[in-house]
Amino acid sequence: MPDDLLMRARAGSPQAFASIVETHQGSVFSIAYRMLNNRAQAEDLAQDVFLQLYRKLDVIESLDHLGFWLRRVASNLAIDWLRRVPYTSTQPLDEGVQVAAADADDDPLMSRELARLLGELAPAARAVMVLRYQEDRDVAEIATALDMPVNTVKSHIKRSLTALRSRMIGAKLITAEELP
Amino acid sequence: MTDNFEDELRRALRPVKAPAGFAERVMRALPERRESVVTPILVKATLARPAPQPNYWQRLGAPAALAASLMLAVVLGQQMAFHNQQVDEAAGLAAGQELMQALRVTNKKLDLAFDSVKNPPEPGVEENRS
Repeated sequence: MPDDLLMRARAGSPQAFASIVETHQGSVFSIAYRMLNNRAQAEDLAQDVFLQLYRKLDVIESLDHLGFWLRRVASNLAIDWLRRVPYTSTQPLDEGVQVAAADADDDPLMSRELARLLGELAPAARAVMVLRYQEDRDVAEIATALDMPVNTVKSHIKRSLTALRSRMIGAKLITAEELP
Repeated sequence: MTDNFEDELRRALRPVKAPAGFAERVMRALPERRESVVTPILVKATLARPAPQPNYWQRLGAPAALAASLMLAVVLGQQMAFHNQQVDEAAGLAAGQELMQALRVTNKKLDLAFDSVKNPPEPGVEENRS
């Protein structure tokens, strides 16, 4: 995405802003979807993120900052949403969501169960795991995005991995021998 | 094995596609004019903010202050009046004492004059005026 896209969007070009939305919609919607486990709510939340971006375009310093800003706002809005409506954490994942790039050797049952179990984590821990394993962000960036210390992020990752492994063993999707 | 599990997690959390037409819906939801970020939001927030309601003590404060001021004025007025009365009384007392002193002097003079009239000095005798 060329750098002047941001400048044109700031200047009020609808085409430039639409291009920004199209570039980042997958990431923002994915964060919202993994956090809320609900397609309609995820779409509402993702739309809210882009409306906030439209109002705050002047504070975006660069395209790198744009990506960071979108991940940060999406994660924090989702955490706030889950804290207001805590019971959505146990809702099953919706059907009909297309994965961006599926592998032939994927185990759909395993993937689906892992994604579902992720929805049982506390909102902050879930956001950490989504940013780490879906968005492939490093610990320092996650800490900045979620306003938490680096050690807290590491602790969330460690405890969440342990919890997910034990639940996968409980669901007999992996065996204890597969653990380190 | 940990790496395997984390890889499995990465596969499970592979980004999903946004719903079809999402970008169009976002564009339709945008306001017609993009407001500048800082000032209008601050202005809107200020305008939207309701006027602060005075609490119990603030509501009580103004009448209490007025009552205290009135009370202070009354007390000070009484003090001033009392002070003026005392000054007047002291002045009157002093004037009375001066009058009494003048009357005593006058009385002595009159006694001397009366004695002089009643017992006039003999001729040729020098009057002792001391």
